[in-house]
This record gives sequence, structure tokens and C-alpha cells, in this order.
Amino acid sequence: MQEPTFLILTALAAGAQHGYGIMSDVSRISDGRVRLRAGTLYAALDRLKADGLVTSDKEEVVDGRLRRYYRITDEGAQQLAVEVERLRANAAVAATRLGLAGGTA
Amino acid sequence: MSTPGDLQNSPAERQHLAGQRAQHAEQRAARRRNRLEKRYRRLLALYPRDHRREHAEEMVDVLLAVAATDIAGPAGANLGGSARGLRPAAAAQRLSRDVADAADLLAGAARIHGRMVLARIGPRWFTRLVRDTRWSDALAVLSVITPVLLLVAALADFGIPQAVANAAAGHPYSRIAATYEVSDLPLLVGAPLVTVLACLRLRRLAGMAALATGIGQLAVGVPGSALAFRGYSSPAVAFTVLLAGAAAAALLLSPGPARGLDLLTWWGAALVTLGALILGGFSVGTSAWFGYTSAPPPDLTSPSINSLSGEVAGLPADLLIAGVLVSVGVACLRTPVSRRVLALLAIPVIPYAVMWQEKLAVDLLGPLNGTTAVIHSSVPLLYLPPLLLAFLIVAGTQLARWRATGHERAEGRGGQMGPASSPPGPPGAVSA
Repeated sequence: MQEPTFLILTALAAGAQHGYGIMSDVSRISDGRVRLRAGTLYAALDRLKADGLVTSDKEEVVDGRLRRYYRITDEGAQQLAVEVERLRANAAVAATRLGLAGGTA
Repeated sequence: MSTPGDLQNSPAERQHLAGQRAQHAEQRAARRRNRLEKRYRRLLALYPRDHRREHAEEMVDVLLAVAATDIAGPAGANLGGSARGLRPAAAAQRLSRDVADAADLLAGAARIHGRMVLARIGPRWFTRLVRDTRWSDALAVLSVITPVLLLVAALADFGIPQAVANAAAGHPYSRIAATYEVSDLPLLVGAPLVTVLACLRLRRLAGMAALATGIGQLAVGVPGSALAFRGYSSPAVAFTVLLAGAAAAALLLSPGPARGLDLLTWWGAALVTLGALILGGFSVGTSAWFGYTSAPPPDLTSPSINSLSGEVAGLPADLLIAGVLVSVGVACLRTPVSRRVLALLAIPVIPYAVMWQEKLAVDLLGPLNGTTAVIHSSVPLLYLPPLLLAFLIVAGTQLARWRATGHERAEGRGGQMGPASSPPGPPGAVSA
């Protein structure tokens, strides 16, 4: 799973959000390191929707403009959990080898 | 309206001026907003119609919202105050952001178009096959290896290093000056393009370029379409076609070169390049890399496989090629992913092996006169085994998956997986 995908799913894991909300949330989650642009975001959302990991939620009209919310699906949450586990395992091995953390207790 | 004399005016006047200024700023912002919206809509016109209908409005909304926060600056929406600050630095920043946004929208459009095309042409089983991380990892490794091989094949085929070396040494012979045919174009243009795009991590574009190279190489053989086509029964043509096809599959269906390089490591990539250079150099002739020190052999003007073997270093070169091929094979047997790399890599390497055994026969028995004990290359020999192998790979993984999901259903919960089921879990296995 690539980082933007991971971050988008993470942003949606807390609840449904619209496009701009996802963008600013991703920026916040990654400490400003990853700044998604609209083209990247919507291409990623298109793929995630096609893969069944994300789905469109409610729609709102704000200032005469349509605002669509996106929501993570069960399968999306499951894949995110798998990825979290994988990253955690990798990080644990790296930390152990570097002698950083106490490793496994 | 924003004279330095502001401070001397009465409070009422000051208020009036401030109001005017804010009004101007607002108008300016509105104008810019309109301009931006028009520009964004022009770019969004490049998206597929379905996507546009569904998402264009919200994308414009998001783009304008981002632009608005950027104009206002981090301090907030105090436009009146910051308007005077919009000097060259800010303008340059805005320009670079506009360009980056436009490029990002273009890339997004290309990605969505590409995915739609793939969804139409890519059968479902292929997508599922690639969900198995071991196969997708193998394809990712292949997405690093195949562009390298394609580039080396092109360099060797067209003798480009040779021409450079000859020019540097002042040797008169140059294949570049000699002949380029229209039929050379697909490989000559495609190979470097695929490599450059892959290096830029533009996976899908590189994949499309590889696909175009393979199709172009096939298309030049259509009767009357190009001069001096070497024919489909040439192993060199089969090799480049299948290699381009493998590169396209690897680039389009895997996570791409970034993941491949992670698995292969830079050392591995360097070794692969070295191996490719050895194979390329010795299959076409050692002079391909180093140029000539003496007169070139007489028959180089039409470099088909048969005539090229004339100046190759003979049997030692054949044995070296065999050595490289065998050691690659043995090295790949170690892990599940590398075994899959080997299986996939074998698809384009089959015609290369045919080429090699022809060369070996020439070196052992003299020029081919149609009587020597060599397996003559033919279209079925060159294309059927690779296609069969590709079919076996797909069928085998499919069978293993069916068996795995069948077991799982029988046991209620899948304790152990079949050989080809993927760690993230096959999509059909979520039955609870």
C-alpha cells in the first residue's frame, strides 16, 4: 500500500469526510509532510472506490456547491488493519536491530 | 488609494479608504477566482466523461478552496492586509503552485484514463492474480529488470556504444551512419522512453510506452508497412516483442519499480545490469560495447543474427552466456518471490535461448547452411512456449486459489492457505 493511499484510508478511518477535509487531514496526520493535490486525491479515491475500499457517503450543498463525503468500507478498514500490522512488525524488527526500543517484552 | 499619506487622514476618511481597499481586494480576488475556475475546468475536461460528470464540481470546489487558503496565506483570510504584500516572491510561489496543480490534474486524468482502459482490457482473473503479493512483488521486481533489459537490447542491437567508441577512437565504421530502417523505430524510441519513464516512477506511462513498443514492433512486420523488417521468425524480434510485453505487464499490474527496487536492492539492480551488459555484449559481438580496433568484418552492413556471430568471441562467449543464464536461474531458486521472477522472466528469455543455441551451433559447426544440427527458429518455436508458460502461470495460480478458497470454506476458517493465496487474504474469502 502506497503512502498516500494509507493516509487517505487513515483520514477516513475516523469518519466520513469530503475531499477538502481529506486533504487537510492527510496533511495534519503526516505532519505537513504529505500534501495531496486534487488530481492525486481524486485519482486515489477513484482507485479505492473501484477496489471497494472506500465508498461515497452523503452529499451536501454548501454555498450552491455540491460537497460529497467519502467513507471507508469494512474491507477498507480490514486492509488498513493488515497494513498497520505489517508496518508495526517491520518497525519492531528495525527498532530491535538498531537497539532502539526494548523490542518485544 | 494606498498612499503613504494614509495616516494623516481623519478617522472617517481612513475608514472609507480601508473600505474601498477591501472592496478592491475582494473584486481582485473574485476575478482571480473566476480565472482559476475557468482554467481548472479546462483541465478537468481532460478527465473521462463518467468521472467528470460525477466529480468535476467537487474537484473545482476543492481546487478553489485550496487556492483561497493559499492566497489568504497562513495568517488567515485578511485579504486587505496581505494584498499589498503580493509582490514578486508571492507571485512566483503562486505560479509554481498553479503549474504543480495543473501537472497533478493531468497526471490524475492520465491515471484514471489508464485504469479505465485496463479495466476494459484486463480480465478479472489477472487483477486477482496480481492481488497475490508474491506475484505482484515478482512483477514489481520485473518492472525494474525489464526496462534495463530492453535498454541494453536496444543499445546492443543498434550498436550505439560501438558508434560512440568508434567515433572516439576515430574508427571509420559506424552502424549509426550505416542504416536505420523504419522498422527500427519502435525499439529505438521505445526502449529509452520506457527506461526514462520507469526511472521517473511514472509507472503507468512507462507501461503504456512498453505496450506501444511491443505493438509497434509487431506492427512494422505487417506486409508493406516498413522496410527491412527482420521477420517474426527472428529470435531478436520475438525477444524484444515479448520483453516489451513483459515490461508492460510488470509496470501496469504491479506496485511498480519503487517496490521492485526495494526488493531487489541497488546491489541486485547493479548485478542485473552487469549481467544484461555481458549478455548483450556477447550476443551481438564484443565490439558492441568497445568499438573496433581494427577493420570491421565485411558482413556487418546487414546485421542479422547469422552474420553477427561472425565476429563474436566464439565458443567462450557462448559458454559465458550460458554461465550467466544458469547462475541467474540458480540464484532465483531461493525464495518464493524470486522463483516467480524466474518463471516470468523465462517468458521473454525463451527466444533469447533460441538465439543463443543458433549462435552456439554456428560457433561449433560453422555457418548455417540449413543442414547443421540446429533447432531453426520459427514462429511457433519462438512464440508458443512463452505463451504456454504464461498460460501455465495464470492457470496454476488460479487453480491454487480455487483450492485454497475451497479448503477454507470446507474448514470453516482458513487455517492454512494454498500455495498461491495471498497474505492480505483472497477477496472471496471474507465470508465470516
